[in-house]
Amino acid sequence: MRAALLLTLIASPALAQDPAIASFTEETAPAGFTHSFTGEWEFMVGGGTAVFDCNGDTRPDIFAAGGTAPAALFVNNSAPAGPLAFTRHTAGLEETSVSGAYPLDIDGDGTLDLALLRVGPDRLMRGLGNCRFEDASAQWGFDGLDLWSTAFAATWERGATLPTLAIGTYIDRTQEAFPWGNCTPNHLYRPNAQGTGYDAPLPLEPGFCALSILFTDWDRQGTPDLRVSNDREYYKGGQEQLWHVEPGQPPRLFTEAEGWQRLRIWGMGIAQEDLNFDGFPEFFLTSMADNKLQTLAEIPAEGAPLPRYRDIALKSGVTAHRPYTGGDLRPSTAWHAQFGDVNNDGLSDLYVVKGNVWAMPDFAEDDPNNLLLGRADGTFLESGDTAGVASMAQGRGGALVDLNADGLLDMIAINRNEPSQLWRNTGGNTATGLGNWIALDLAMPGPNRNAIGAWIELRRPDGKIMQREVQVGGGHVGGILVPHHFGLGPATEADIRILWPDGTAGDWQTIAANGTWRLEPGKDPVPLPAN
Amino acid sequence: MSTITGRARPLILALCLALSAPAAHASDNRAEVLGTWYRMILELVRHTPTQTPPVASRAFAYTALIAYEATASGSDRLQTLSGQVTALPPAPPREDGASYDEDVILNAALGLAVEVYFANTGPTGQRAKAALAKQLGALTAEGVDPDTLARSEAYGVALAEAIIAASQSDGGAVIENMGFPMTYTLGGEAQDWVPTNLIQLQQAPLLPDWGKNRPLTLPDGEACPLPPPPAYSEDPASPFYKEAMEVYEVSKSLTPEQRAIARFWSDDPMLSPTPPGHWVAIIFQIAERDQMPIEEQVNALVRLGMAVSDGFIVNWRDKYKYDLLRPITYIRRVIDPKWEPLLNTPPFPEYPSGHSTQSGAAAQVLTAALGEPFPFTDRTHEADGLLPRDFPDFWAAANEAGISRLYGGIHFRAAIEQGLSQGACVGDFVNALQTWK
Repeated sequence: MRAALLLTLIASPALAQDPAIASFTEETAPAGFTHSFTGEWEFMVGGGTAVFDCNGDTRPDIFAAGGTAPAALFVNNSAPAGPLAFTRHTAGLEETSVSGAYPLDIDGDGTLDLALLRVGPDRLMRGLGNCRFEDASAQWGFDGLDLWSTAFAATWERGATLPTLAIGTYIDRTQEAFPWGNCTPNHLYRPNAQGTGYDAPLPLEPGFCALSILFTDWDRQGTPDLRVSNDREYYKGGQEQLWHVEPGQPPRLFTEAEGWQRLRIWGMGIAQEDLNFDGFPEFFLTSMADNKLQTLAEIPAEGAPLPRYRDIALKSGVTAHRPYTGGDLRPSTAWHAQFGDVNNDGLSDLYVVKGNVWAMPDFAEDDPNNLLLGRADGTFLESGDTAGVASMAQGRGGALVDLNADGLLDMIAINRNEPSQLWRNTGGNTATGLGNWIALDLAMPGPNRNAIGAWIELRRPDGKIMQREVQVGGGHVGGILVPHHFGLGPATEADIRILWPDGTAGDWQTIAANGTWRLEPGKDPVPLPAN
Repeated sequence: MSTITGRARPLILALCLALSAPAAHASDNRAEVLGTWYRMILELVRHTPTQTPPVASRAFAYTALIAYEATASGSDRLQTLSGQVTALPPAPPREDGASYDEDVILNAALGLAVEVYFANTGPTGQRAKAALAKQLGALTAEGVDPDTLARSEAYGVALAEAIIAASQSDGGAVIENMGFPMTYTLGGEAQDWVPTNLIQLQQAPLLPDWGKNRPLTLPDGEACPLPPPPAYSEDPASPFYKEAMEVYEVSKSLTPEQRAIARFWSDDPMLSPTPPGHWVAIIFQIAERDQMPIEEQVNALVRLGMAVSDGFIVNWRDKYKYDLLRPITYIRRVIDPKWEPLLNTPPFPEYPSGHSTQSGAAAQVLTAALGEPFPFTDRTHEADGLLPRDFPDFWAAANEAGISRLYGGIHFRAAIEQGLSQGACVGDFVNALQTWK
């Protein structure tokens, strides 16, 4: 009796209960999105995009890192539910050597700022409104250092008036012949005692060439820790890392005695989502030929879980280890990853941006991006080809975000040395179309205006509660800060509750589907117009 | 003319120092050229995804052959291995009366070897190779007249090209899908290997046809056979069960020393220079400590390279002949479903242990080449945070490498013991080769 092992090219076969396919139309050129992340060795990684509203019109604008080319800001002129339309805008952000960026409101003035990561000194750019920015690094006491920055995350530590910033760095670029084993430290920037700016950066040593970092309250204990995904290509003695970052305390690594398990991958991106509705997030970690989907190994009845994870990528059908279309059968290279519900069926989907590092012959050159649709049984269906987003370009950064206020997540891919791309989600390819949706704009008084660190709870029709943490960080050198989108399936309303960053729980509130709502502590939801 | 022995080593070392052939340079930079290129090779093995241990062993073998033949071609003391090693072409003749620079020849030959055997490394490796070629090119060209420089470079390249061309037909030149077949049929019997991890690529085993490659020093592909492993059984009284229980019980009571040994010899691909590279690193540590002359270095390297490469060929032949399951599969099936070994289980069959075969082969040839006892300190993994380890001789290191696989929970004892014996058998074939004139 001999059992055959079938190695299929498709992540998972089509099943009767397969989700609706969202259809995408590429609108890169007509939308005026002309951009490329360019460069050679020092820009083989990077290429992040930051998506946020920089002019208060509620339409997300796109900032894209340019590498050797100037970074660019594209202001969104798309009409609601209409074709995508952008205008390149001179914003004071046209720096070269930018690897990526993340939006956040650093000074709590209600206007989003931008952390620019660079191959060279990083910059904190203060938003002035109307999509104009100025370099506030010196004013905020921010020493951007002269390193190769490749990862970013932010959190508001308890009682702080400024966010704590974590910046991940890559290789000591002066080491030309023997760069291996020369990872530079990551750094933690904490507010000074007066809360007026930042103390000197605190090295997070050892650094193992981070390509994604993320503050996450993974154990739901109320204080986020710092997850770091590292590129094993360059470290020696390294591994993935998890730092305790407790207010007033120096950061310290989780140890094996605390349950941390050694994992060594070509870590390139982190995406977080509670996929199984147990209240604890799963983590998708991008790598080369071997992407991971981690779920907690054990959740105790009481107390905090240990940071021990099981890899469920294989059984979930999200290994995304080789191209699923196009005929190039060599292993894949994955970078940015993000969860989002592109078909609004109430189940999170997974967008993975792919692309060869740089003419690596053992890895696919024609490496299509993935759009993996979540199924109710926890597995995923590859839809990149049928959805029309199977780009073979050399992808790096990306985003899933509703760009035209129609409740459908659109898609951005930042490509290296090739044109970046933009797709509009045009709905389902079935008679019934896609599901309903809501978008939630969290707002708080005080310095943490966007409620970073809050948890959004959404009660599903089956009674299970989906929980999502409000974060700045992760992905591959870029992130979005826009109203939080949820698909609802056929439901016409949603029960929502917010667990605010200070630990207080809001009331359960029922809000109508297919709109964007502002949620503030102690207030009723307010619908926002779609401009 | 005889192979160098341990007892003869001090005398030979003195002779080497006294009789080193004059070079075009005021000083002989070959040791620096060799050591620096090999430092690069050890990094490229670690950082090139196709360089799994069998593939790395082949790269080390052919690179060492190129370094050896380049050195031997200008040496009064070393003789060519052409005619002794299968398919190895003779070195190109040198022009009568023309001057050559040995530094330039060695650098040109090694530069091409690295270019070819690590052609598929990533952008950082490509950049590093280019930077090093430029650096060593400048070093070796300094003070050499243009005619001699051009003639020497051309000679080194021609010598390397001939060996590279011969290597293309050995069966190991093309690696696809990082060595994992796109389709594979599992054995299906209780004792047969099954995948042991959740990595999609590794649901098929690594390089199932590697055992069919052409060896360098063995008379044929049937050399150094092994007896079968203990018969599979789930009976607690059976030898097989007892072997598994030993792995299980040891894993439950690992001492700090045993844990350190397992980690030290883990030599994971892409996280270390691999098991073959570990032994290469040992040679260079000894060479630096003892200021070993270039002829002695290339002699040790070529013997090690061929022994380890041929060791992997026969080892892989038998892995797929016996197709035995790993301890993690058996122990979880029969003894403890939640058992976790200390080390990650490699994605290919268990018997015999690859590290044991290649370490046995390494110890056998290095003992013959450099002697016994031969105390040394192994600092290979210092940069990775692993403390150095001291050994009285090469076989002590090989035996520790072997038993490390039991401590790590990835091999049964029979695979280790038989692997070491198989390595010694392979090493004997290498030891029969004549390198010294």
